Amino acid sequence: MALDISALVPELLVIGLGLLLLIIHILQRQPVPANPIGWVAFLAFTAIALFVVWRMPVAEVTWGGTWLVDPLANFFKILFLLAAALVSLASITSLAGQSRFASEYFVLLSMATAAMMCVISAGDLLTLYVGLEFLAITLVVLTALDRGTAASEAGLKYLILNAISSAALLYGFSLLYGMSGSLVLGEIATIIAGGATQAWAGLALPVAIVLVLSGFAFKTSLVPFHMWSIDVYHGAPTPITAFFAIGSKAAGFAVLIRVFMKLFIPWAAAWVPALIVLSILTFTLGNLVAIPQTDIKRFLAYASIGSAGYIIMGMIAATRGGIEAMLFYAMIYVFATFGAFAVATAVQAQTGSTAISALAGLSKRSPFLALTMLLCTLSLAGVPGLAGFIGKFYIFWAVIDQGYAWLALLGIIVSILSVYYFLLLAKVMYVNDPPAESAIIRVMPSMRLALAVSVFATVFFGVYPGPLINLVTQVAARFIS
Amino acid sequence: MVWAFWLVAAIIIVSALGVVGFANLIHSALALAATFLAVAILYLFLAAEFVAAMQVLIYIGAVAVLIVFGIMVINRSGMQLSNPSGKTVLGAFVVAIVTMAVLLLGILNHNWPVTQQNPPDDTIAVMADLVFNRFLIPFEIAGLLLLVSVIGAILLAREVRQR
Amino acid sequence: MSDFTKIAFFMFFGIAFVFGSMLVVRLLSTSKYDPIKSLPYECGMDTIGPTWIQFQNNYFMYALLFLVFDVETVFLFPWAIRFSQLGLMAFIEMVLFVAMLLLALWYAWKEGVLEWS
Repeated sequence: MALDISALVPELLVIGLGLLLLIIHILQRQPVPANPIGWVAFLAFTAIALFVVWRMPVAEVTWGGTWLVDPLANFFKILFLLAAALVSLASITSLAGQSRFASEYFVLLSMATAAMMCVISAGDLLTLYVGLEFLAITLVVLTALDRGTAASEAGLKYLILNAISSAALLYGFSLLYGMSGSLVLGEIATIIAGGATQAWAGLALPVAIVLVLSGFAFKTSLVPFHMWSIDVYHGAPTPITAFFAIGSKAAGFAVLIRVFMKLFIPWAAAWVPALIVLSILTFTLGNLVAIPQTDIKRFLAYASIGSAGYIIMGMIAATRGGIEAMLFYAMIYVFATFGAFAVATAVQAQTGSTAISALAGLSKRSPFLALTMLLCTLSLAGVPGLAGFIGKFYIFWAVIDQGYAWLALLGIIVSILSVYYFLLLAKVMYVNDPPAESAIIRVMPSMRLALAVSVFATVFFGVYPGPLINLVTQVAARFIS
Repeated sequence: MVWAFWLVAAIIIVSALGVVGFANLIHSALALAATFLAVAILYLFLAAEFVAAMQVLIYIGAVAVLIVFGIMVINRSGMQLSNPSGKTVLGAFVVAIVTMAVLLLGILNHNWPVTQQNPPDDTIAVMADLVFNRFLIPFEIAGLLLLVSVIGAILLAREVRQR
Repeated sequence: MSDFTKIAFFMFFGIAFVFGSMLVVRLLSTSKYDPIKSLPYECGMDTIGPTWIQFQNNYFMYALLFLVFDVETVFLFPWAIRFSQLGLMAFIEMVLFVAMLLLALWYAWKEGVLEWS
């Protein structure tokens, strides 16, 4: 077994960051405030992301197939690191008042990022499972950190429901192991696909696929596996909610792509209809239930469920084009969703409220925040000129290409309906009068930077998506050769 | 030996039902320990001595104990009705039965590959070679997972203590 | 499996002895109910207040730390058995693993979990 540490360098750096912050915390007498740590974490995550960008084209299979470093893994690692960097900046604002656990917060954030990176690089079911559990436990703690019963309830709910989904996933894995006698994805694929018709003749493989799919559907909160996400998104600290929506969800999609395109692709005809049902349920319910919400976090939680319904369409296409569209959408979705949650963080830090009514007259209290929220939510809705439009276009084009024009049409109709509720939000921010005794909302420099990045990316990729399209095309081409 | 398997299986099912059914949470915890022990015997039937030993050490020696400690710490009043059954019992029962039926359908309708080899005499050595060579990454992640769970538990307990 | 048959044999007789003696006692002794006799007691004293009380959560933290180091033994044991064959690589792995757990212990110490207040 070659001793190949170089394949692990990005993960080791992120873990090292977490351990370093922990040791610094232990050595300090006073709790370290969030401001310096948040900046350190931001710079470290950005630097590691640049390092991964530099190593992007590398493709390695190491540790006997248990560790995969390919462009797909690197693409998602960049995405996770970007998400972590942005969330670090936003966390400075949300932790400003309560810095007792600031160090631990960033330790856990680094660990969650490392866990997601392990999940996407996992080449065998054991690493994948341990990585997912590592991620889940870290997120449980981050969710429950806030004071109050809502946070505790959210943490407990996530812990228990995640345990059930893990059980389903694990049971599916055990069936796969029983069929093939191997834990390594590559080997399982060869063994099962070798006797493809024979494997399908029994019912063990369909049951395994159903179990694995439901496990991943939980991680990506597809309807009807979304029950946990609303309360968890509501109860968690707002930057962590953003991290759930952009990081944890992307990790779920990443492993979904890896496992289904590498392992289950010979039986696509069987699982694509299931995905179609999940997708339709997810984007309709997510977008329609968002309308009556009165809390901005719940509103965005439903909007993010709706987006997951569109992203999963790329798997319905189950082609290279579909994967490209998923990667593109996942990346631009990071910026749009983060921007929206970050504005919620800034408003919450000042007003202490996450009600949509707290956003009333935001354009007069902070034009920058209002503009960010407007652009990000319109990008999520898919308004032309913003990145979300290109993302949706890409996705719909991929499914139409595979003969699911009716599905794309349904998606477009719901998407147009969703513009309605995002415009309702815009009306609150731009037309409604600000509440009495409301002050100008101060935005910390760190938050300013984070918001500027997300607005810039949302507009830039909307006007000039070329570079990102090139990137995802290359990644998908290397993944499905 | 088949009768021994069915005996152990019966113990597992009855004690697992006890975990759900007992009205007193402590009784449930004891039934859980019994379930863990019976599962350890199943591992022995599979000639996985090391896994069986660890099942006893971890699940009975630590997890069940941790659960009892948790009950001790959380408990405020009587234990008599600490594990009440909700209104969803029937629904949960149906879901459990359907899940079991689906799994059985999958397990019984497959031509499982069966090895003709005898199980290795020294299972620990085989496991050690796997864990420390091929599967060292999940092993190290497990270490981080333990670290994070300690940090998390301390953080959350501190919040409770200060409240 | 012959070793396990012996163990099963011993287990069976061990259990049979316990329950058998309880049965014999039940058969031979006379039993009279008396409310004072059935009181719960501690070291010969009557208990004061309810016997199901809420314990300090320090107990729980100790149990949790115990669990972590208990899990450690799962890995330490096979490692120790194959130590000479596994070589330097496995030694480094184990050092890292133990270091992470020690870090957890250090953190717990710093946070005052090990203190009784």
